[in-house]
Amino acid sequence: MPPFAAFLLKRLGRALLTMWFAITVTFLLLRLLPGDPAVAVASTNMDASMRHELLKQYGLTQPLFTQYVKYLGQLLHGNLGQSFTQSQPVTDVLMSRLPWTLLLTGSALILTVLVGVPLGVIAATHAGRTVDRLVQTSGVIGQSLFVPSVGIFLLFVLGLQLKLLPIGGAYDENAYGLGWYASVLQHLVLPCVSLVLVSLGSYVLTMRATLIESLGEEYCLLAMSKGLSDRRVIWKHALRNALLPTTTLLGLQLGFMVGGAVLTETIFAYPGVGRAIYEAVTQLDYPVLQGAFVLLAGTVVVVNMITDLAYGLLDARVRTA
Amino acid sequence: MNKLRTAGATLVVAAVTMGLAACAPGKKANADKGGSNSGSSSSQTLTIASTTDVVNLNPLVGNSRTDDWVTNLMYPRLLTINADGSKQPYLAKEWGYTDGGKTGYFVLRSDFKWSDGTPVTAKDVAYTLNTIKTQNPKGGVVNGFMTNMISAKAVSDTRVEISMKRPDSILVPEVGFWTVIVPAEQFGQHNPVDQFTNTSDWISAGPYKLTSIAKGQSYTLTRVTPYPMAPNGTPTVDKVVFKIYPDVNTEILALEKGDVDVIANALPPAQVSVLQKQSGITVEKVPGLGFTHMTYNMKRKPLDNVLVRQALAHAVDYDAIRKVAVQGQAISANSSPITPSLAEYADPSAKEYTFDPNLSKQLLQQAGVSNLKLNMIYSMQDPVVAAWASIVKSDAAKAGITINLEGMDRNTYLAKTTNGDYDIYAGSFAIMDEPVSNMALQYLPDGAINYSQVNDPKLTSLIEQAQATTDKTQIKSLVQQASTYVRDNVIDNIMYVQNLYVAHSSKWTGFVVKPSELLSILDPQSLANVTKTG
Repeated sequence: MPPFAAFLLKRLGRALLTMWFAITVTFLLLRLLPGDPAVAVASTNMDASMRHELLKQYGLTQPLFTQYVKYLGQLLHGNLGQSFTQSQPVTDVLMSRLPWTLLLTGSALILTVLVGVPLGVIAATHAGRTVDRLVQTSGVIGQSLFVPSVGIFLLFVLGLQLKLLPIGGAYDENAYGLGWYASVLQHLVLPCVSLVLVSLGSYVLTMRATLIESLGEEYCLLAMSKGLSDRRVIWKHALRNALLPTTTLLGLQLGFMVGGAVLTETIFAYPGVGRAIYEAVTQLDYPVLQGAFVLLAGTVVVVNMITDLAYGLLDARVRTA
Repeated sequence: MNKLRTAGATLVVAAVTMGLAACAPGKKANADKGGSNSGSSSSQTLTIASTTDVVNLNPLVGNSRTDDWVTNLMYPRLLTINADGSKQPYLAKEWGYTDGGKTGYFVLRSDFKWSDGTPVTAKDVAYTLNTIKTQNPKGGVVNGFMTNMISAKAVSDTRVEISMKRPDSILVPEVGFWTVIVPAEQFGQHNPVDQFTNTSDWISAGPYKLTSIAKGQSYTLTRVTPYPMAPNGTPTVDKVVFKIYPDVNTEILALEKGDVDVIANALPPAQVSVLQKQSGITVEKVPGLGFTHMTYNMKRKPLDNVLVRQALAHAVDYDAIRKVAVQGQAISANSSPITPSLAEYADPSAKEYTFDPNLSKQLLQQAGVSNLKLNMIYSMQDPVVAAWASIVKSDAAKAGITINLEGMDRNTYLAKTTNGDYDIYAGSFAIMDEPVSNMALQYLPDGAINYSQVNDPKLTSLIEQAQATTDKTQIKSLVQQASTYVRDNVIDNIMYVQNLYVAHSSKWTGFVVKPSELLSILDPQSLANVTKTG
């Protein structure tokens, strides 16, 4: 088998194992939560028999193992189950939300790379100078930022005071055609910038550190001694190697962003999966929570697999290891 | 390689565009399409913010507060309430009991119509009541009041009769207020009814009707005519839009900016005075109809001893709690389960427990209890209770009582409450509109919210007598005796009635204020009459 095919198969196997683990842990963790869904949705008039009837309807009176096997069977058929509270298939509940979360986290991730790489390069190539210190300080501050504080600050300044951007929502309900796409972009700016601000710091600092290390490697010194321009040495040689750890970080950051989306979507009233999770937690709507975690874990696993493959393409040693 | 990159980037952009296109609304005409909209020339839209999203648009199912606000505008109740909890006509113009209290009845107005043109009749009412009785839709509140109901029957187009196992003074007023009437023709096609999601083809007998949904973001209703309770049968606003802002700070910014006209949910106490000072914003006081209380688990020793409970009751500075934690936005309940809000039933001689740590010490001494240590559970999602819990702890310490505070997430709190796993329970009830009903739920041994775990034959007898008679004078006398008994024996420690505050743009006038967050200024009769002046 060609080395890359074996590498691919191995990664695929790992991804499937990770998914199974995520599904199982989610299933068990939710059932460890105190309280039960019947009490969470019930009126104060519900007596014990009504509560039991409701739990029976939800299939929660069966033994845990039976519930688990049933759930796995459902998943293999592509069925995420039925929402307890909304009486709708979980797929319907989540699919109307997923595009917004993907748009938000995807845009934030791309913007983080587009801003983070050049900033990291500038800091690394000006190591020890004022620009570097400025970037480093900003990076450390960025790492300590918290989405709700950043979000409310941006909403107050850019939304309320300057009236430049809308407060909350994903689009203007009265916009149609191209105007609708424009409104989507307008509504995306603040939540996306918030996510970028809180995740950029670690990306820039990692980029800077690895690039400084790469620039000190012998192959870079050789390239410089051969008379290659600084620009060519940095962007063609050093950066390619410096990108390896930052690519890994990027994969990890997706998980962080997806988690951060719960808060971001809440602050910015953005109708994504994060909001659906927040709402489902308060109602102990297990099927929606399980479905959301499967979707998000799937997204993170797929992106990490792509990252691994990119890593393999960037560094031949990885795919033969 | 460059071509590959370009192709990759194009693919990503195409995928994003297609993904978004799936979320894009249809043509403008679709969104505006409404069944019985009037062709008014002036176009007014009232935008209402809420922190909770719609969960389920089937009004027979237990819902979030926003579900109630939206569905209240489409499905009428039989009765509504005044600030003192007294029932007022809505779809029903008369109600009461016959046959020695064994038959309840409602006489309906004849001028209510569904938006498809068919009249709202007694058949719709009978269908709704019988469905709730027989199917008990999940999480619904009404079934709990129907213990003594056998069935409902439409005896004419405008009269519904409910046959009962025995006289029950709770049934007619509670079912009348809490039930929203749905169209039998539409809902009858779904069995079980709680699986009906009601996400399209809405039929309304209220002032407005849902016409479009942007899940997680907004819910748009358009005017329906005729609506008999609006001026000239025409609701004053063309569109009512509910927008969801899960974070209250964002919601307030949206009101300040003018993106929304009303904040529907009750404001946090700290925000009330801030918004009251802002020009262009009006803060409305909504009378509370519920109460906040502490109950002592009477199944646990030494809380089964009345002297210990009295000692605890005298070890709380109620006035400080109302001034500091509730920021002066509450009134004393006079330590009675029949609060001053229920003016018709309240006992004017009821007095609040005094804050007297020395008396507490004496009472504990009389009870032979020393070194008393108790835990108190409360939900961290209730910021007001969380704010005063520490006051209770420090006050109790002055009487030599140690209270271990256990603030927890709502679901854990509910689980502990259901299992009776606490010494002291602290919490609130939102609407306590019907004294007999509330007492039955709270103080009968099998009451669904009997958090004090009381099983007292004398109290049970008083409540059951009040439930079994339809004579108002007798009910009032029994209710007052029961409430005095509850107060004197500290079966429940009712601390205060919190008034709620909601905010709206001062450009809008004509809101009718109804009690409780459920009705507030969003009651159908209010929203059918508001006008924009600015």
